[in-house]
Amino acid sequence: MSMDTARLEKLRHRPFDGQAVKCLVEAGLTWLRTNQQTVNSLNVFPVPDGDTGTNMMLTMTSAWNEIKDSGEKHAGKMVAMVAKGALMGARGNSGVILSQLWRGFARGIQDSATIDAASLVHGFLDARETAYKGVVRPVEGTILTVSKDTAVAAEAALTETQDPIEILAKCVSAADASVARTPELLPVLKQAGVVDSGGKGLFFILEGMLRHIYGESLDAPISSVQPLSSMNFENAMQEVEEGQDYEVVVDFFPGNQFELQKFYSRLEEMGTSIQVGEGEGMYRMHIHVPLDKRYEPIDYIMGIGTITKVAMENLTAQMDEIDSKTKNAKIELATTEPGQIAVVAVSPGNGLSRIFASLGVAAIVGGGQTMNPSTKDILDAFENLPTDKVIILPNNKNIILAANQAKDVTVKSVQVVPSKTIPQGLAAMLSLDPNGDLDSIAEKMTRAINAVKTGEITTATRSVEIDGVKVKEGQVIALLDGKLIASSSSVEEGVMAFLEKVKAEEYELITLFYGEDLSHSEANIVADVVRNKYPSHEIEVQEGGQPHYQFIISVE
Amino acid sequence: MKLGIVTDSTCDLPQYLVEQHKLEVVPTILILEGKEYADGKGISREEFYTRLPDFKTAPTTAAPSIGEFSGRYEKLFSQGCDHIISIHAAGTLTSVINIARQAAKEFSNRVTIIDSLSLSMGLGFQVLAAAESAEDGLEATLTAIGEAKKRLKVFAALDTLEYLRRSGRVPSAVAILGGMLSIKPMIELIDGEVKAVGAVRTTKQADERMFNFMRPLGKLERLAILHTNAEPRARGFLNQLMQEISQSLPRDILLVNVTAVIGTHLGPNGLGFAAIRS
Repeated sequence: MSMDTARLEKLRHRPFDGQAVKCLVEAGLTWLRTNQQTVNSLNVFPVPDGDTGTNMMLTMTSAWNEIKDSGEKHAGKMVAMVAKGALMGARGNSGVILSQLWRGFARGIQDSATIDAASLVHGFLDARETAYKGVVRPVEGTILTVSKDTAVAAEAALTETQDPIEILAKCVSAADASVARTPELLPVLKQAGVVDSGGKGLFFILEGMLRHIYGESLDAPISSVQPLSSMNFENAMQEVEEGQDYEVVVDFFPGNQFELQKFYSRLEEMGTSIQVGEGEGMYRMHIHVPLDKRYEPIDYIMGIGTITKVAMENLTAQMDEIDSKTKNAKIELATTEPGQIAVVAVSPGNGLSRIFASLGVAAIVGGGQTMNPSTKDILDAFENLPTDKVIILPNNKNIILAANQAKDVTVKSVQVVPSKTIPQGLAAMLSLDPNGDLDSIAEKMTRAINAVKTGEITTATRSVEIDGVKVKEGQVIALLDGKLIASSSSVEEGVMAFLEKVKAEEYELITLFYGEDLSHSEANIVADVVRNKYPSHEIEVQEGGQPHYQFIISVE
Repeated sequence: MKLGIVTDSTCDLPQYLVEQHKLEVVPTILILEGKEYADGKGISREEFYTRLPDFKTAPTTAAPSIGEFSGRYEKLFSQGCDHIISIHAAGTLTSVINIARQAAKEFSNRVTIIDSLSLSMGLGFQVLAAAESAEDGLEATLTAIGEAKKRLKVFAALDTLEYLRRSGRVPSAVAILGGMLSIKPMIELIDGEVKAVGAVRTTKQADERMFNFMRPLGKLERLAILHTNAEPRARGFLNQLMQEISQSLPRDILLVNVTAVIGTHLGPNGLGFAAIRS
């Protein structure tokens, strides 16, 4: 790391006040955003699930929005605002833990108008403490471990220096080393050949702060490009900015003079949502640009390599289409009277939302595998319901923490029924009695979760071997209650492999919820194969509308 | 004083009990594809349930005529009865009791009409309680009926919501479930109202749930396992009861294939029970 000594000297003599904190938070966020795809690609399972980088970035964005207009000078008060924003915006497990780190940090320095070495260390120690307490069964080799190692390093550094910048630098190195060690602590990481994504995200936030202090660039990822397989344009879709009306994707082979660093900074001048992927020498560039600049990236890349494919799409039109799709499928939610229990369910697809509504759900929060809703999204869904008794069905293991957080911050009486899959959520709904006692109904619903086995059929996002199952990127894979059990060459094969593994013959009813990538008739072809194999079972086919998962299957 | 007891065919009492207690049972009417059948005549329950899913038009039901009731009342009075207790299916669910009331008007105050607020053996057990205390006089009999009614529990697990929905008798709490997934509603018949008490998706889950409804009732004085043409299922359920809560069961347990007049609104393959707690 190069550093600007004069700048550093200046910073050293400036008090670490609220406004300084604000700059650091922005730097942490910016650096995390820049490296978001790197974090996203550290996916243990080859399934398209909640992207950690995106979740943490959105959590930090919410924190930033809370303070961006604030002129607060008091550091402790500023961090308290950061913690509040992070709490409301927390998405996914890593996002929730990140918000708890901020909460602890805020507690540690609440009385400090400016941050010195001692209060900084205090903050790190309290952050660790709070994050560990927030998790029922802390797992080592995760963001928690990284927060712990960082706190330990901070404490040790305090014996050597009174300079908060030096302490932060030591923390960043410790975080880096800790992330590198995560595969040693968590076998599943080692198996997948990755480091922990949440830990890596935390590292980027801390490193971003340090880079800002050192005056280094935060806009271009230093490392490298992501693998093509981990590029995800759908997330980019959700962040369409006004004026950036066109999505341009260019595949090309770079020439000899190609310099990644320069490539990025040139693209930065043209547009937003930049992603660059690489696979077997071929590069893919993704960018959102305004109408009048839509040919600029193409012209530019033509000059530095050989273009093999260009795709351009009008984003505004696409967004309109998405909007009209949602409007067409109006969902009739259950109405709740004051005093009754209202259920809020997280649902990844329109069909599933409609089914949840038909079972008496009062509010739907969009999201699931690839887009984890924030604490605030969940709160917003039920804060305006005319009752103060609420049950949340997260329907995804990565949303349970955010749901619990929503429970903690509301004045309403909330119970989280920890459903990890859609079929579990649907099974729980059958035990709902809106007029019952909140605690005992929640308990009944929680017990009902065990009534079903869940199958998920999706396409592998990367090649990996987990639990003895070898998976090649692009293959169809089957999961049983979240565990990878088979890889196969077709959706139909994947469905049958799951049914065999779950011992479907011992059950009565198989419900197939088909995803948005399949048509009803395609789904029925698979259902017919299932019917032939299990002639005495009831087979039901329902439109789920979920992305990425060709089928979600319930067996009971 | 000699008491006569009249009921209607929705009581589901087996023939031997009807004869033993000299009960007068007025048949309700089943209309199948335009043709009227007196309940229990012309088509067996087995045949009815087997054909139920395939009838082109949904079977409907009708109350017996006023004349049917007055005929029975006259018969009992002519046999020397001083007073008649006429006890019937819940007025909230059928019009049978209204017809009986009309008929009773002709007999000044000699016929007491009682709404059982129940159906099937939920009604049948109240009739039995009445018959068993009839010799102790009107007051004692009315008390016995009241006691039975107070301690009565009737639950059912339907195989599908379809028939209930078709009948227009879907309770509002279940109507929500009129959605997309095929579900098996669990209902309780309480104070003449059909109340949803949950839903499941498989027969096994339904039977478990049914068992869980029964277990907390404690020791039972009377018990009937009800089914809509699902005798093997009903026997299986009974076996489970004998294995797990035999000490709570009464000596005689009835196994009843529910009358088509009720079953047409429930559909085949349903399981239920009527119980009087001790």
